[in-house]
Amino acid sequence: MELFLQLIVTGVMLGSIFALVSLGWVLIYKCSGVLNLAMGELTMIGGYVCLAFYQKFVTIMPVNYAFVLALIGTIFIGLILGLLTERVFLRKMIGEPVLAVIMVTVGLSFFFKGLVFMIWDTDTQVFLPRIFSIEPIVIWGITVGAVYLWSFIAAMILMVIFICFFKYTRWGLSMQACADDEMAALSLGVSAKFVYALAWAIAFMAAGVGGTLLGNINGLNYSVSSLGLLVLPAVVLGGLNSVPGAIVGGITIGILQNLAGGYGEAYIPGSKEVAPFVFMVIFLLFKPYGLWGWERIERV
Amino acid sequence: MSYLPCGTYFESYADDQKWWRTNFIKSKMIVMVVLLAAVPYLVGSQWMSVFYTINYYILAALGVQLLIGYCGQITLGHAAFVAVGGYTSAMMVLFLPWPQFMVDAGLVYPISIVCAGFAAAIWSVLFGLPSARVKGFYLIMTTMAAQWITLRLVITQLSKIGGREQSFPLPPGVIKIGPWVIDSDEKIYYFSVILVLICLVAMGNLLRSKIGRAWIAIRDNDIAAETMGVNIIVYKLLAFFVAGFFAGIAGAFWISALFFVSPENYEWFYSLLWVGIILIGGVGSIQGIVFGSAFVVLVFKFLEMGVLGLSDVLMTSYPEWGWVTTKIIFFKESVFGLAIIFFLIYEPNGISYRYWQIKNYFNLWPFSYTGK
Repeated sequence: MELFLQLIVTGVMLGSIFALVSLGWVLIYKCSGVLNLAMGELTMIGGYVCLAFYQKFVTIMPVNYAFVLALIGTIFIGLILGLLTERVFLRKMIGEPVLAVIMVTVGLSFFFKGLVFMIWDTDTQVFLPRIFSIEPIVIWGITVGAVYLWSFIAAMILMVIFICFFKYTRWGLSMQACADDEMAALSLGVSAKFVYALAWAIAFMAAGVGGTLLGNINGLNYSVSSLGLLVLPAVVLGGLNSVPGAIVGGITIGILQNLAGGYGEAYIPGSKEVAPFVFMVIFLLFKPYGLWGWERIERV
Repeated sequence: MSYLPCGTYFESYADDQKWWRTNFIKSKMIVMVVLLAAVPYLVGSQWMSVFYTINYYILAALGVQLLIGYCGQITLGHAAFVAVGGYTSAMMVLFLPWPQFMVDAGLVYPISIVCAGFAAAIWSVLFGLPSARVKGFYLIMTTMAAQWITLRLVITQLSKIGGREQSFPLPPGVIKIGPWVIDSDEKIYYFSVILVLICLVAMGNLLRSKIGRAWIAIRDNDIAAETMGVNIIVYKLLAFFVAGFFAGIAGAFWISALFFVSPENYEWFYSLLWVGIILIGGVGSIQGIVFGSAFVVLVFKFLEMGVLGLSDVLMTSYPEWGWVTTKIIFFKESVFGLAIIFFLIYEPNGISYRYWQIKNYFNLWPFSYTGK
């Protein structure tokens, strides 16, 4: 029972990182209709950029400040990269068939993967000196790694910031309008180009923070990008165009992965990686549009 | 289908649907077969592997083209089905107790190819089942799940058989078709050409039958197809079956070229690559598969040659820049990603569309009536 609770709690905390990255994914899909398969690489880039900043900053200031500053730097770089990516590659693809757009994001993922390995090499790198203590924290008898707890807190804070941004700022409202009905939004003077650029920038920022947190848990290497790809089952579970769905889906995937890792691994090795996908396929057989995805009503 | 030369017309549908509609097309095909047979004598032996890699990509992308280009079911997990084919064939050849006369007659490997086709086809139908209910990106995700689940299963379950770590080497002489032992690049090449020709003709014939018309109807609008009396679930699953069968054949062929099976030949990268191939070649065109495969393999080959040349120059002239050579392999991947992106941005209809335009230009010359 204790193991079970512990797995669940850690799963929720790991899942909150997935939820953060899925939020960025859903945003791109809602605003511009692009199905982004490069999300894993975006996550990885974020992690490596933050590591580079951290290694620079840690020589001149205390660890905590250095990490926070590095995180802010990552968000800033994510903003620039997101705007650039949208401008250079994706804007030309507006109105092209869905498959072509997907393949462009696949090309992006090859490009970014090559770029990251060109700059930082393929060896596993860790954040040194450690930012979070190895000592686990005990809450009500449940042992939780400090990394997980802080990741959870950071992800939650960022998610609240993003959601407030959508609800209360002018830019966020224009994004909502564009996602709801692009034609109507355009006729009311919302700039679609600006909204697309903003969506990509936010996705890059969210993925960057997610990658940093994932990198803190297991060290940074190529596996971070396959963890980042887990946002795809997460968003499918929640329904493609639902922000709450993305969050719930992300947390579900986190819990599932942990439970499969804790219990299934003994019987079927490799079930940790497979469980989210198996669950997703079975789930889709019963709810073809995820939890809260829009059902497309088709007419001939 | 391109426009026919001026003055050529048909009086029956049977004539219009023929493989070789005019004598010119027929002679073109014969010249092509002769050329294919002569390739090993025309090019150096180091290019043989390029040619049979192209053929492998054609075989593998055939199923992807069928699903995406003709049936409208987007798949991003085709490498899984190729893996099933490859492993089935390898396992059958290595571990089944074949009677000696079959081994002597060289029947083992051909039988294993067919079995690999069926195994991959059934596996593919299993993951095609959700297509009865889900569409679009949700379907993409289920096929992606096929990739993860299959590869994980292969790595964790199969690779332990026989105590080997990751790969199963195939001892020389095992891959034997009738009296021929496949052991040299030329033989692999001829084998691949024969397989590709058989599969392309089979696919072409399927597409001009009732089944092919049903697939195309589903691609264009599945609800309309259903109201017209096409049983869309059966035909969608049939598309997955046939695509899986081609994938299985591709996988079974590739073990004869590699002489081993190992999971890293079936990474997700390859699934994406094959979708990229049909997009580059042209969606919904059989020639497109050939063009796309040739383009991708040649781009890789030239990048590799350029990279090797560059690293040679660097090593000899600028030793202090030697660290660049360790990064060059990633440079190759980056450039390949960019090549795909810019190809899609500037040539969205694929190579086969250009080919179609050029062919029509000559067919209709000097009285072009297409207006373009």
